Amino acid sequence: MTSGRLKLCGLFMVLATAAPAAAMASGMGMMGGGQMPSTSPAMPSGPRYNAAEEAKSGAAAFDAGRFKDAARYFEHVTEVEPKAAVGWYMLGMARAAAGDDRSAVRAYEKSVKLDPVRIDARRDYAVSLARLKQADKAGAQLDGLKSEAASCNETCPQASDLKAAIAAVQQAMTPTQAAPGPAARLDTPANLLFAASQAGDLAYVRAVSLINERRYPEAMASLDQAEAAFGPHPDILTYKGYTWRKLGRLDRAEADYKRALVMAPGHRGATEYYGELKVIRGDLAGARAMLARLDGECAFGCAEAEDLRRWIEHGGDPAS
Amino acid sequence: MDRARRRSGLLIAAAALALGAAAVPSAPPLKAMRWLAPGANAARLLTRRPVECLKAPGDPVQAYLVELGRAAFRDPLLLGGQAARAGLACETCHQNGRTNANFDFPGLSGRPGTADVTSSMMSSHRGDDVFDPVPIPDLGGPKATLKISQAPGSDALPHFIHGLVTEEFDGPEPPPAILAGLASYVRALSPAACPAPASEPVRMEEAMGDARRAIRAAIAALAHGDSRSAQVMIQAARSALGAMAERYAGPALAPARQSLAVADLDLAAALAATRGHDPSATGRLTAWLGRSQAMATGLERDAPRSLYNPAAFAAVETPRTGN
Repeated sequence: MTSGRLKLCGLFMVLATAAPAAAMASGMGMMGGGQMPSTSPAMPSGPRYNAAEEAKSGAAAFDAGRFKDAARYFEHVTEVEPKAAVGWYMLGMARAAAGDDRSAVRAYEKSVKLDPVRIDARRDYAVSLARLKQADKAGAQLDGLKSEAASCNETCPQASDLKAAIAAVQQAMTPTQAAPGPAARLDTPANLLFAASQAGDLAYVRAVSLINERRYPEAMASLDQAEAAFGPHPDILTYKGYTWRKLGRLDRAEADYKRALVMAPGHRGATEYYGELKVIRGDLAGARAMLARLDGECAFGCAEAEDLRRWIEHGGDPAS
Repeated sequence: MDRARRRSGLLIAAAALALGAAAVPSAPPLKAMRWLAPGANAARLLTRRPVECLKAPGDPVQAYLVELGRAAFRDPLLLGGQAARAGLACETCHQNGRTNANFDFPGLSGRPGTADVTSSMMSSHRGDDVFDPVPIPDLGGPKATLKISQAPGSDALPHFIHGLVTEEFDGPEPPPAILAGLASYVRALSPAACPAPASEPVRMEEAMGDARRAIRAAIAALAHGDSRSAQVMIQAARSALGAMAERYAGPALAPARQSLAVADLDLAAALAATRGHDPSATGRLTAWLGRSQAMATGLERDAPRSLYNPAAFAAVETPRTGN
């Protein structure tokens, strides 16, 4: 290992153990397969700046929203360590946050050339290019990310990074213009717990309570009543499946979950409980596939995904 | 006959007359509209809230715990079962750490501002088959009026909160620092810290501030080597973004929702990194804080047309006959 590499590793170790606000740089070095440079250029009269200190100050300034100051510190880092992709990346981020995409692109470009694997740098490079209306170059980066995501097939460790990166670049490339006029209604999926009360039939609500009381045969009768009132509804089918599962009838549980998912392919409850059923059957791969669906379905997170995740980690009901 | 059953009977009769058969009504724009009384003025009630009476601790350890607790208090995913799935958080009943005089959850509330804390609808542990809603206490009120001792040396409060999370709402076991943080947050609420006036507008800036505070708390938790608490904080920030997205309703504000969705994907990736003990997690979160400032600028621009604005809210609110 060269002295330059040792020096840079030291830089990131310092940052890794520094105050949280300044720890950004250490993480940056690890994101998306980033790598350290092998050498540092010979400095005729020694480095003007201490890279670790400058990076730490830059990270703190960035965290405080002083992006121009942060950019100045990171410029110093790149002067001392011009072959460190992470330094150029941080410089690009600070410049972009300060609203200077044109300068940010130059920094990102160097970062991407030094380390073509970094997902975060490619993403932010493409976002800045898109903001500068350089659609061809942004599109090329997007294609690369998409191709990588296709190979990954949502199973590689970088899956969530690639998904976030693609979404960010796509958003930057195709910003939907806000139409004039007031906001319209948001279409929120109906939850039968509330909708049933509103419609004047509390059989479903009673069934939920009975399930919590572990009175499964009575819960099933209430669910039948709810189904008679509302017709087949994915919420009702999901709880019927759950109740069958508790009654030991896994085959009927599975049938109801499947029916719910045919009616509402993204139904969170049915996906979660079907995943749990797969855990019970020892089909962890199947359960993970259900979890991947939930993670894709649940913008902003959801209890269903977290509960299924705990089931998978525990290899069964975590409450047992 | 209790109130819930009376209401049920009336609604059944009304529905039978009006519909012939029950139909599933559409969902309201905001989840919080589901637990307002029928006929309540959602545009007025959901655009103001009580002020928070938080006395910031001088001790850094306590300050850290209060931030953990404050964020967890606002996240439905702290709770489990039906509560989490419906979108209820501690803060739903205790808006800004206070009370919620308008909370009217079907089957759970008597008069608005009450809740049956021993209902089987929410709990598989504490259901007593008796509809006995009680007034929701103001946690920012005088300590002497609260039933649980908040004395710093007493473990009554953390014990009570633990039971509330894991039994009353069937939530998963919270990490120890989160539980301690919830107790610290509740202890830090004090009438002496109440600013005037008594209520404040619900604003995008505070919502974004909550998300950013949660991420700062996540970074601090990682610095403490507490990955589990960091995960809770990241999820709390995601929930805060989700609540903001609800307010940017309708096709006209799709770009605002899109920017929130992209920010959420970043946090989802950071959460995955945190779960995997990836050392890049802190860097991702700090980068997110930087990006969030630019996003906030766009959201601020669109806020007048969002449901943060009472006038815009009133313009889109559909007259409701029930929850």
